[in-house]
Amino acid sequence: MEFQFFLNGIISGSIYALIALGFSIIYRTVKFFHFAHGVVYAAGAYLGYTLCISIGLPQIISVPLAVLCSAILGILIDKLCYSPLRAQKSPNLVFLIASFGIFIFLQNLLQILYGAQILSPRTGLIKEGHHILGAVITDIQITIIVVSLILFLGLWLLIQKTKLGKAIRAVSDDPVAAKTVGINSERIILSSFSVGSALAGIAGILISYETNIEPTMGFAAILKVMIAAIVGGIGSITGSLVGGLFLGLAENLGIWKIQSGWKDAIAFGILILFLLLRPQGILGKKTEKETI
Amino acid sequence: MEYFLHILIIAEIYIILSLSLNLVLGFTGLPAFGHIAFAAIGAYTSSLLALNYGISPWIGLPVGAILAAIGGILIGFPSIRLKGDYFALATFGFGLIVYSIAKNWVELTRGPMGLPGIPAFPFLGGSLDSVFSYFPLTTAFALITYFVLKRIVNSPFGRILQSIREDEIAALSMGKNVTKYKLIAFTIGAFFAGIAGSLYAHYITFIDPTSFMPMESIAIVLMVVFGGMGSLEGSILGATILVIFPELLRFVGLPDAVAAPLRQMIYGLLLIVLMIKRPQGLIGKYKFK
Repeated sequence: MEFQFFLNGIISGSIYALIALGFSIIYRTVKFFHFAHGVVYAAGAYLGYTLCISIGLPQIISVPLAVLCSAILGILIDKLCYSPLRAQKSPNLVFLIASFGIFIFLQNLLQILYGAQILSPRTGLIKEGHHILGAVITDIQITIIVVSLILFLGLWLLIQKTKLGKAIRAVSDDPVAAKTVGINSERIILSSFSVGSALAGIAGILISYETNIEPTMGFAAILKVMIAAIVGGIGSITGSLVGGLFLGLAENLGIWKIQSGWKDAIAFGILILFLLLRPQGILGKKTEKETI
Repeated sequence: MEYFLHILIIAEIYIILSLSLNLVLGFTGLPAFGHIAFAAIGAYTSSLLALNYGISPWIGLPVGAILAAIGGILIGFPSIRLKGDYFALATFGFGLIVYSIAKNWVELTRGPMGLPGIPAFPFLGGSLDSVFSYFPLTTAFALITYFVLKRIVNSPFGRILQSIREDEIAALSMGKNVTKYKLIAFTIGAFFAGIAGSLYAHYITFIDPTSFMPMESIAIVLMVVFGGMGSLEGSILGATILVIFPELLRFVGLPDAVAAPLRQMIYGLLLIVLMIKRPQGLIGKYKFK
């Protein structure tokens, strides 16, 4: 039974980590909290649902298409909202408030389009899970864990080994210096939004097969993801993975002893503890403290 | 007429909330994103006192406001040193924790079942249980809030707050204890939010956790930003317009399942457009830094 709590922690931690990866890569280039990332995740789930169930495309086509649409949504958000703000050199807080605006707008758009009820893209019979050490794990849960790990590795390689990754790191460290050596920072920001939003879309599609989907799903998710990102070390790719898993485990091991309704409070308790005691996060560097 | 007065009462409660948030957000420059939590503390305190112990709302209201202020100190003390976004996130998180307590501490708050039958304010042998009798009460509280805050922001204390907003390091170098002043402003804001919450509870006579959703704090931020940060008159204007305007949607004849999210969509869109086109709001002067 204990192992089941541990396993549940790993599963929800993997989803947090997957969304947090996208959140972090965007944070690295723009340096503000992209709250609307949560609604991109929800939109990804709904896009997957529409293409697969409503239109009836086979999954092999509908899933990549939904991911592509999520990336386009991310690009649109940046082009229409953040880019004008960047042009005016707006402070971080303005971006954050605008991001809340985008979130509210899109979440309610989803609600008008699909209704407030819960939808499920699952068809066919529910298969029994596999038994491991007294715990149960389903195929989709295994997929979630594996996909998260693969995407983490892929993103890590992208950031560390490719030219684009190098440019992202350059823009992240010093946007002015990056510009002087000829890096088009607007294009780098757009790439980070498309990659990050695609990851959110993938997470949304995966979770839609695990639990069901509803328009407000992005809200709880983005709160957890911001906490995971800060706890792991904001902007760090490895930190997102560590933070996501840490939060997933803490929540699920926490409700072993406490009622499940307190999950959110546990998560925010952890955030506040970290902000006070270790604001740079588990893997963050000490020097980043000044900016907090 | 009754419907119209009802909308005005709600608008006045939001005016108190946005005036008090303006002291924190607009005058001191602290992005507090959990303001509705203090209203929740005020509302639950005076409702529970009245329901469980039969204590008059006239006593419950100040007690609720004081507890909200204590809540302000408790969350403000650790988080006030955080910069910008992080402070916003910590206060938003506090809003979520208060919501979570209201929902899960069933023994105390009855959780999602809410608190029905909250008694009205007794007054001269009768009670303020109609819109006609409640309207003067909320009007009085809104006016008191306005004049007290006006007095505060024009006092030497208020000027220190504004100097912190304009240039924190300069205020520090003038020997001002910046953290202390920020904390006091935050606590005053929480106090008035507690009053607003209590007024709401004894008017509607029913509260449950969904009355105090964390996102509601963002709506209050919108009211402040829309009217103009650092302008008390702006907050009155912002809250009034943003409470009354969505009511017009009802008259267009949209079904409720569309009207409610549509109202939210307009709020969201308004936030984005404001940030891009007019971050200082309708009649504000101060822009974000």
